Amino acid sequence: MTASTSAPTPMSAHAPRYRTEVALARRAFKQVWISATLWALLFGVTIAASALNYTSTFPDRATRLKLAATTGRDRGMAMLLGPVSAIDTVGGYTVYKCFVFLTAIGAVWGLLIATRLLRGEEDAGRWQLVLAGGTRAGRATVATLTALFAGVGVVFVGTTAITLLAGRNPDVGFGAGPTLLYGLSLMIAPTVFVAVGALTSQLGRTRRVATGLGMAVFGITSMLRMIADSGESTKWLLWTTPFGWTERMRPFGANDPRPLLLALAVVAVVLIGATRLASTRDAGAGVVATSDVSRLRPFGLASPVRLAARLDASVLSTWCVGAIAAGFAFGVVANVASGVVSSSVSDTLRRFGVHGGSFVLRYFGIAFLLVATVVALLPVSEIAAAADDESTGRLVHVLAQPVRRTAMLGGRVALAAVAIVTTGLVTGVAAWLGAKTQGVDPGLGRMAGAGLNTVPTALVVLGIGVLVLAIAPRAATGTVYGVVIASLVIDLLTTLVSGTSWLDRVSLFHYMALAPSEHTDARTVVLTLTAAVLLCVLALTFFQRRDLDTA
Amino acid sequence: MNVVCTDRLTKQYGHTTALDALDLTIGEGEVFGYLGPNGAGKSTTIALLLGLIRSTSGTASIFGLDVWRDAPAIHRRVAYVPSESDLWPSLTGAEVLEFLGNVHGSVDRVYRDELVERFDLVLDKKIRALSHGNRQKVVLIGALASRPELLLLDEPTTGLDPLMEQVFRACVREARDRGQTVLLSTHVLSEVEAVCDRVAMLRAGRVIETGRLDALRGLAALHVVAQLHSPPPDVSRLAGVNNVVIDGTTIECDVAGSMEPLLRKLAAVGVRHMTTREPSLEELFIARYGELQPASTDER
Repeated sequence: MTASTSAPTPMSAHAPRYRTEVALARRAFKQVWISATLWALLFGVTIAASALNYTSTFPDRATRLKLAATTGRDRGMAMLLGPVSAIDTVGGYTVYKCFVFLTAIGAVWGLLIATRLLRGEEDAGRWQLVLAGGTRAGRATVATLTALFAGVGVVFVGTTAITLLAGRNPDVGFGAGPTLLYGLSLMIAPTVFVAVGALTSQLGRTRRVATGLGMAVFGITSMLRMIADSGESTKWLLWTTPFGWTERMRPFGANDPRPLLLALAVVAVVLIGATRLASTRDAGAGVVATSDVSRLRPFGLASPVRLAARLDASVLSTWCVGAIAAGFAFGVVANVASGVVSSSVSDTLRRFGVHGGSFVLRYFGIAFLLVATVVALLPVSEIAAAADDESTGRLVHVLAQPVRRTAMLGGRVALAAVAIVTTGLVTGVAAWLGAKTQGVDPGLGRMAGAGLNTVPTALVVLGIGVLVLAIAPRAATGTVYGVVIASLVIDLLTTLVSGTSWLDRVSLFHYMALAPSEHTDARTVVLTLTAAVLLCVLALTFFQRRDLDTA
Repeated sequence: MNVVCTDRLTKQYGHTTALDALDLTIGEGEVFGYLGPNGAGKSTTIALLLGLIRSTSGTASIFGLDVWRDAPAIHRRVAYVPSESDLWPSLTGAEVLEFLGNVHGSVDRVYRDELVERFDLVLDKKIRALSHGNRQKVVLIGALASRPELLLLDEPTTGLDPLMEQVFRACVREARDRGQTVLLSTHVLSEVEAVCDRVAMLRAGRVIETGRLDALRGLAALHVVAQLHSPPPDVSRLAGVNNVVIDGTTIECDVAGSMEPLLRKLAAVGVRHMTTREPSLEELFIARYGELQPASTDER
């Protein structure tokens, strides 16, 4: 036996300062860099495709002036798809085309990564483990935020680099300065919503609540931007929303950097607040107090499916309310859209594949494509909850009881399906109501039908999600997001870039009629529903046979 | 009558063998201790018995029913307690008990109230506000209150304080007295000694010892550390003395059986100070089966 004569000095005595924070930041960056790189590619390619497409579609000054003369009057489309400014230039057109799509995706991505790496880590108990090391909550929050902003930096660098490359094309001719400013303007949304996510992660006690609060901010600020773009008298509202700040910068036009400073100031204030809250509150707790004591409420305790309904009701309702609000807003805007119809708008609608019916109906055809995206994302909450139940071990408590696997999962699928059908139907009615308040009546039955038209596609998404859940539960949530977002991106890209219509077949939305403008093809609906049912049956079969994740 | 019966039950994850040809029988009304270090395959066995995972080969039955095919029918007569109870954070303890009772279909509410009192559990607190031990109590009460024919307990006392461990042991003994069968997976020897009739020792997915508790006690050895006045004598040839380590005038060894021959030898050279302690389960394994080879199992 060898006796030790002198004990080694504890490692911590030699540890460099901020080693824990550096390690934490590195780990956080590892969790975001892949998605940041993918978004950078998507942003860059979307911008490049839009710019190149413009130069080929509108090759000379005359066609561009004609486009500007007609598009400028369509306030309804400006509310929907973003501001119309300097559209007679490649830059102005590109900014217009990409505005809503890129800012919305950037904002949601920023919010989700922030709540995942801050509140999500705390939810899982890993944050407490970190705080037991050589750091404090405030410093750990700053370290994580540094990594998150590094992720935003990756998106900025990638987007700007690809835009610069596209700008080298003589027909495009983007200058370095305006391109840089454009890249920065697109980073406002993800930066602000990383900060919003950091703040809501301090407020809410769970990741779900934190994300929900952040999504509420997203909804309100998006709505503010739409109202701001609805008329001159409301234009000042652009200063109250990050989407307005992006809009006001007008890259490739006015090139105004002032909103950027405002954005930075707001982000700094929000981050200081978030960090202070992180430093002062208890680990594991949220600033928004929730009672830990409650009397027994028997609702939802009779079976696993009823329990799922009880636990998921708030999230499903939020999705449903969001879809209804969107439907209503689109309905209200229909009044503006029913005004003078320009050739550019007709061209835009044609590119989306909307051909039939009046302009209002064609407008709703596009609007319901966006509603369909929201409805198709609705299964995410149910799939995520089911995957979470399994990864945390709660599912074992259920399946160790006399419960059949197929009944349990089938029940959850039915629950999601009911939520999808209800949301689709009610959103259609809400859109009709919105239009009706503005004196436009597209017909209740027709609009309810348009809402229901979004259901089969969403059910296919549900089927895909459940199938992945049945095979690889940890990949299920990401797959659902991926399928829906990829479908939307493909749908939008194929409208922007000539010669890519073949790609459209990959998008799930390709198989959805743009109702109420287009008539729903019964055969396609039946085939879509059959595919959804088959996917679900396949999922139940796989789930019945596989090992549970009991690790 | 055998309640649990496995025949060459094997579970592999890729190239990793978590459980290797397990032959096990547990009789009716028996409290069966299932011992083994972390990663030995205890939880894998229970997951197989519950039909949560499928065996790679071999068979297992409970009440004569196939554990995979007839899982729901078996679960009506079984209750399970895992070592870590990750429950629904927004539900209260009372709501979790209500839910588990409803889903299981059988619950003795009077006994459940009694258990709540004995385990000193506050029912109106939400799970997220409960400590690990209190969450464990919720699941334990839920399982015991269903009065199942078979209790599958996987390290059920994790997080419980010593007082509550005593309550748990009393509940297990009462269950046995009522004729219930218990499979108690644990690595706590004292728990096994307190409540079990028969034990199986598991290592790296294989049963290395099985039998009555007396057989286990036969394996027990005391770990002795003695500081002597002069260099120690040779004790390695003494009966029951193993793992002798000498450092100057200090001697360490494990002694199985009588201490008398060792004490005589040491007393002859003069003992300055001596301590003895019971070995840990792991030390017992090492003493009985030699150095543990790198485990071929994952933490399962």
